[in-house]
Amino acid sequence: MENFASLLHGFGVALTTYHVALMMIGVLLGILVGVLPGLGAPNGVSLLLPLTFTMDPVAAIILLTSMYWGALFGGSTTSILFNIPGEPSSVATTFDGYPMARQGHATQALTLAFLSAGFGALVGVILITVLSTWVAKFALRFSSPEYFAVYFLAFASFIGLGAASSFKTIVSMGLGFAFAAVGMDTVSGGLRLTYGFNELLSGISFLIAVIGLFGIGELMLTMEEGLRFNGISARVKVSDVLKTIKTLPRYWVTLLRSSAIGCWMGITPGGPTAASFMSYGLAKRLSRRKDNFGLGEPEGVVAPETADHAAGSSAILPMLALGVPGSATAAVMMGGLMIWGLNPGPMLFIERPDFVWGLIASMYLGNIVAVLMVLATIPLFASILRIPFAIIGPVIVVVCFIGAYTVAGRPFDLWLALAFGVVGYLFKKLDYPIAPLVLAMVLGDKAEDAFRQSMIMSRGSLSIFWSNGLVTTLMIIGLVLALGPVLTTAFGRLIRPKASSAVA
Amino acid sequence: MISRYTAEIGTATLTAGLGLTAVVGALEFGIGWGDAGPEPGAFPFYIGLLVVAASMGTLIQVTLGRYGLQSIFLHREEAKRVASFFVPMLAFVVLARLLGLYVATALYLTFVMSVQGKYRLVTSIASGIAAAVIFYFVLEVAFQVPLLKGPLEAALGLY
Repeated sequence: MENFASLLHGFGVALTTYHVALMMIGVLLGILVGVLPGLGAPNGVSLLLPLTFTMDPVAAIILLTSMYWGALFGGSTTSILFNIPGEPSSVATTFDGYPMARQGHATQALTLAFLSAGFGALVGVILITVLSTWVAKFALRFSSPEYFAVYFLAFASFIGLGAASSFKTIVSMGLGFAFAAVGMDTVSGGLRLTYGFNELLSGISFLIAVIGLFGIGELMLTMEEGLRFNGISARVKVSDVLKTIKTLPRYWVTLLRSSAIGCWMGITPGGPTAASFMSYGLAKRLSRRKDNFGLGEPEGVVAPETADHAAGSSAILPMLALGVPGSATAAVMMGGLMIWGLNPGPMLFIERPDFVWGLIASMYLGNIVAVLMVLATIPLFASILRIPFAIIGPVIVVVCFIGAYTVAGRPFDLWLALAFGVVGYLFKKLDYPIAPLVLAMVLGDKAEDAFRQSMIMSRGSLSIFWSNGLVTTLMIIGLVLALGPVLTTAFGRLIRPKASSAVA
Repeated sequence: MISRYTAEIGTATLTAGLGLTAVVGALEFGIGWGDAGPEPGAFPFYIGLLVVAASMGTLIQVTLGRYGLQSIFLHREEAKRVASFFVPMLAFVVLARLLGLYVATALYLTFVMSVQGKYRLVTSIASGIAAAVIFYFVLEVAFQVPLLKGPLEAALGLY
């Protein structure tokens, strides 16, 4: 009940005209960013972040999180109307959303998507409300070795749970850590890895990496595929919306199951993309109308959307309570928190309760605002995609580079963003995961500090990571996850040597 | 045309190179035990080694499975499209360094719209300039974020 009182206080913080106006602006910008190819949630938040440096942290985080909600909704819209996922996490929505729209059920598909997404997000926020204080209190017992173990666990789960090759995940993650190490060493205060370049003295900003990898890289990929929009025009009729709302309770099993999957994948760094695919797959397997999936089955829209948004919102929980973000966008926001001078983690709940609870309350409001606004403005945003790409494309490029410049006002960052763009293009084409790189760049210094402090505590002995029950448990789970792919392959070979050799 | 195999090998070699760069760079700062615990180079050193090792892993995996990777990574047609997007973007960055972001924006938009979008030159120029002016007002006036400027802004006294 203590949380409930704090939440009410949070509503007091969040419910001002200024903040609600920011939510609306954030949601609109988010939908825009989600609809446009090449600009996604992580990238949009990165572009907006430098403009919030002078704002009050509460107002700034409300703007950024609202943009996140908007981007998630925008991504689903293009999936349904254009068969083009605006976000990687809404790829699964295209499977049934686009067929539905083509059969003339665009309004129904959109309404179902938005409402189930709103439902998923609310479940995620409720989870945060209930669990955050508890997790934060638990995390207060953490000292450096435990923190290092948590970071280790987070990165191990990328290796174990990710769909990509483990080697590629490790490369991506390792490069992130290496980029984070460039510039000032936070422990000794000395400079390192600058290779004599003055431009590298202040390090490589993770924001530049996100803008390049997600923005420019994604655009290059879009260009390569040759852009064709086969849009379906949608006019959202109020009567159709109401009719669809009435059908929503029919999907309660899917809604609950997908929310659970989403929350789990959001808290662990599986992320929204994995959550939506997993949820779609399960819904298909468990549904009575299996054969209809892929041909315009409403449940095939509900399942990925619910999980996507549940994961998106619950990814904020580990970021706030532990300082370990659950998705790439959460990682960017956490980087923002650190830039505003806040220290994500359990102490934030003690030092800045107004910030934490204001944020959590704004997540309730922001999602409601987002559902309403997205229903009201969709025809407008869908028409943006009818503008020829010869205009939209270069404008997005310019926005990305301007965003890169505003991060620190350094001309060198323009080159960096371009280089990251090329890397992002290569990585995406070759199935290297990008989220681990971003997470490693944001967490790099913290993970290194935790490791070095642990080493100082133990005078250089690694046994400190097995020194008590808590840290041992975390490390063992981490090791099992990290070695998971190796273990399953080895085990599989033992059981079915012939089958695996045939595949290889 | 580039095969997937070549692209995989190239990228893995690149990442191995980056890892090696981190390793070499870290050696300069000490990778052992100093007065204040591990020396600054230790963490990047081992991370670099990890990247090199994992890149080697990819290389081995790719070499073993090379027959499955003969698919085409980039068609000629696709390569053309990527290049037609990338080259103007590269020019934009070069121009931005020389002339500032606003002038580069106007030139870049004008070029892409007229040459690739086949718009009339007047329309393209007008759109390019309009976009630059809008960016100026949103960033410099509304958010008070200064952008990179060049000789034109200096001549106009816009600082």
